[in-house]
Amino acid sequence: MDEEYDAIVLGTGLKECILSGMLSVSGKKVLHIDRNKYYGGESASITPLEELFAKFNAPAPDETYGRGRDWNVDLIPKLLMANGLLVKLLIHTGVTRYLEFKSVEGSYVYKGGKISKVPVDQKEALASDLMGMFEKRRFRNFLIYVQDFQEDDAKTWKDFDPSTANMQSLYDKFGLDKNTQDFTGHALALYLNDNYLQQPAIQTIRRIKLYSDSLARYGKSPYLYPMYGLGELPQGFARLSAIYGGTYMLDKPIDEIVLGEGGKVVGVRSGNEIAKCKQVYCDPSYVPDRVRKKAQVIRCICLLDHPIPNTKDALSTQIIIPQKQVGRNSDIYISVVSYTHQVAAKGWFIAMVSTTVETNDPESEIKPGLDLLGPIRQKFVSVSDYYEPLDDGTQSQIFISESYDATTHFETTCLDVIKIYKFGTGEEFDFSKVKVELGEEEQ
Amino acid sequence: MAMVKTPVLKVILCGEYGVGKSSIFRRFINNTFVPNSDRRSTLGLDHFEKSYQLTDKTVKLQLWDTGGMERIASVTSSYYKFAEAAILVFSLDNASSFHVLSQHLLDIVTYAENAKIFLCGNKSDLEGSSPQVTDADIETFCEQCHNLISTTYKTSCKTGKGIEEMFTDIAMQLVESNRSRIELQTLDHDSFKISNPEPVEDPGCSC
Repeated sequence: MDEEYDAIVLGTGLKECILSGMLSVSGKKVLHIDRNKYYGGESASITPLEELFAKFNAPAPDETYGRGRDWNVDLIPKLLMANGLLVKLLIHTGVTRYLEFKSVEGSYVYKGGKISKVPVDQKEALASDLMGMFEKRRFRNFLIYVQDFQEDDAKTWKDFDPSTANMQSLYDKFGLDKNTQDFTGHALALYLNDNYLQQPAIQTIRRIKLYSDSLARYGKSPYLYPMYGLGELPQGFARLSAIYGGTYMLDKPIDEIVLGEGGKVVGVRSGNEIAKCKQVYCDPSYVPDRVRKKAQVIRCICLLDHPIPNTKDALSTQIIIPQKQVGRNSDIYISVVSYTHQVAAKGWFIAMVSTTVETNDPESEIKPGLDLLGPIRQKFVSVSDYYEPLDDGTQSQIFISESYDATTHFETTCLDVIKIYKFGTGEEFDFSKVKVELGEEEQ
Repeated sequence: MAMVKTPVLKVILCGEYGVGKSSIFRRFINNTFVPNSDRRSTLGLDHFEKSYQLTDKTVKLQLWDTGGMERIASVTSSYYKFAEAAILVFSLDNASSFHVLSQHLLDIVTYAENAKIFLCGNKSDLEGSSPQVTDADIETFCEQCHNLISTTYKTSCKTGKGIEEMFTDIAMQLVESNRSRIELQTLDHDSFKISNPEPVEDPGCSC
């Protein structure tokens, strides 16, 4: 440990592992430390099942749960958008070779007490039970507009300037009713709340395009999920970092981040050892005095021995409950994965219900989600604080990631990583530049 | 996703830091040897595929090195996933690298349940007349772990002795024991790797 590094990364969550990998690939000498014995921090998948029960102080699972080590249970539920930023990162860094994926089978939205499939193309829109006949026509016209929309071709904007006009005015232009706005903004554009309505329409158009481009990649739904759970993702980037010379230390408590002149970081202390460095990258848990609490997120892991009712027995699915449907300010998300992803024993399903906390009784806030699941065999609830850094880190050279938010996909995760990378290296993260070949040559 | 193609079998190297895993990896890649383990020479190299022509079948062995993660930390569990074979490497001139093998073996059976396991005593050029690890030691170890070890090899990365023979033999054994499984896998495999979309060809002018 008593060496000098360009950067020390603390915590092996997904964000830190991506950063570690990118820094190593760019030639930096990296030391990557975690206080835990395992990789992944908050983004680990817990295995075996006994470990998960112990973590939540529950009595050990009985034999009906099958073999404990057939389970890999995520703590933070997220899915990958097939055409999203994380997939781009995986491809460009070559980390994709460590992973296999399955397409998520269905994407549903909640309306009036029941769930319906999210209509994603004109054909599905016309068949959907979410809208009346005339509304379907209007929604179809809206979808065609978004599909034909080209940012660099003002002709396709149809007398509407999406960079100045807000999204509400675009909805109004097509005469879409509140219900349709609801599932468009929340189930297609994947906004957590309704603030987007007052923001330039271009942002929402981009998000709907991301949704439909993702859908076009592997069919069925725009979402992907990795075999053996999300914990494989940070591990893949950790390996990338190691292959490019990064040094790994687990089970190493961090006692102090050592500052030098002008409050600039000069090293990291563990016991009597000090590793010197020019920069530190870390998650909020390593620097409690440099972050502030922004909100709370509730997540409930539910183990089920059956698929979710009304999803055609889908082995994986996502259900979005738009805020307004249940009188809230932020959406409730449900993601479901199962034994087909090697994350549960044969016949078992893992449903995760999550949302941003709005009251003093977060457990009752997720009830509309729990009610959709059918009988729940075991439930684990956690409420975690959501932290953000106090500054951008350029002064102290301590770059801190935000906690994982309640969104169900990795877009905000990647944006945070790209932002930190920019502050840390002074360089814009260029996807085309990171394309590395990892020993692909063959004889 | 059924495709007729050469089966690719993932083989991983396991064992303590410094027993010669990267040297075996380098021998496998280009049959060279770098004394005093210069990490830089494999920097950025992830895994390597090589074809083995067997009597009635061609297979590719895809060899993976740890990337040095085991030096202070442990190797990620995802390293073991999808492995068809694991080579437990120890150094014949270092008894302690042999005695910790049971821990590595435990990791393999936990994370790579279906992998066939092989034992490799490396640095046979340093074995000398009074070996640190005797053949009897090796035999006892294999018995203790309920014959989980398929075959034991002795290699020298310095001279190259035994390396190619080991991989050819492993390829053969994998094909023998996996024949039905390999075929089954090419048929029934609905998870996939992600890659860049196929470039859409511009149809251009139709005239």
